[in-house]
Amino acid sequence: MKISELLTEDLIILEASAKDKDSIIKEMADVLNKAGKIENEEKFLEAINEREGLGSTGVGYGIAIPHAKTKAVISPALAFAKSKEGIEYESLDGEKADIFFMIAAPEGGENLHLQTLAKLSRKLIDDDFRESIRKTETKESLMKVLSKID
Amino acid sequence: MAKEKIVAVTACPTGIAHTYMAAEKLEKAGKKLGVKVIVETNGSIGVENKLKSKDIEEAVAVIIGADARVDMKRFDGKPLKEVSVSHAIKNAETLVQDALDGKFDPYKAKE
Repeated sequence: MKISELLTEDLIILEASAKDKDSIIKEMADVLNKAGKIENEEKFLEAINEREGLGSTGVGYGIAIPHAKTKAVISPALAFAKSKEGIEYESLDGEKADIFFMIAAPEGGENLHLQTLAKLSRKLIDDDFRESIRKTETKESLMKVLSKID
Repeated sequence: MAKEKIVAVTACPTGIAHTYMAAEKLEKAGKKLGVKVIVETNGSIGVENKLKSKDIEEAVAVIIGADARVDMKRFDGKPLKEVSVSHAIKNAETLVQDALDGKFDPYKAKE
């Protein structure tokens, strides 16, 4: 599955308005909800927060990947957000996060999207890849950078 | 002399992101330190790159970076270090270096 099938332009937030962890999670869930990717936003948020409770998904290097696999998701999707000032996210390295990928995965069904997400996760370890994401200013340029993982 | 080898297993509760980030970090740390790190991922896709018993046998050490259950019996007697998946992402290089320096204690499989 191509990344562009999971992350469509309406799921991209180039300048997040959120200033803290709860509000960035809400802002991204709203976008997924609006795009019709989730059935029940409240339940989806519960699942996201449950995962955060097991340990922050702020993995360091300014990256956070809140994610949930739940029945509240209609079809697999990926939302993206960038924050100018960065957000306190209880990250592993104690630094603020400024790049966010929110993963919405339905329960059961096909696993094609999981392979794409696994590839994305692996690629996020790459310094150059993260820097090119940070530099993008338009949705088109972001998609171009992300399409490298296909 | 053949290149030294380390085997590792990564796993996380949802098995979507951290499992693979930790795998990538450990493989990269291995490349940097000149040792082959073979990583089995226990993600929601299932088990990928399952460790061969030959590789386990030849490995100088085992690294487990997991917040989920991993089949441990196969590592009986191997020098092994078990950490959380987040710890493995954050400290991959130290883990690989410690593995090479023989800093791990042998693992004793529980019944």
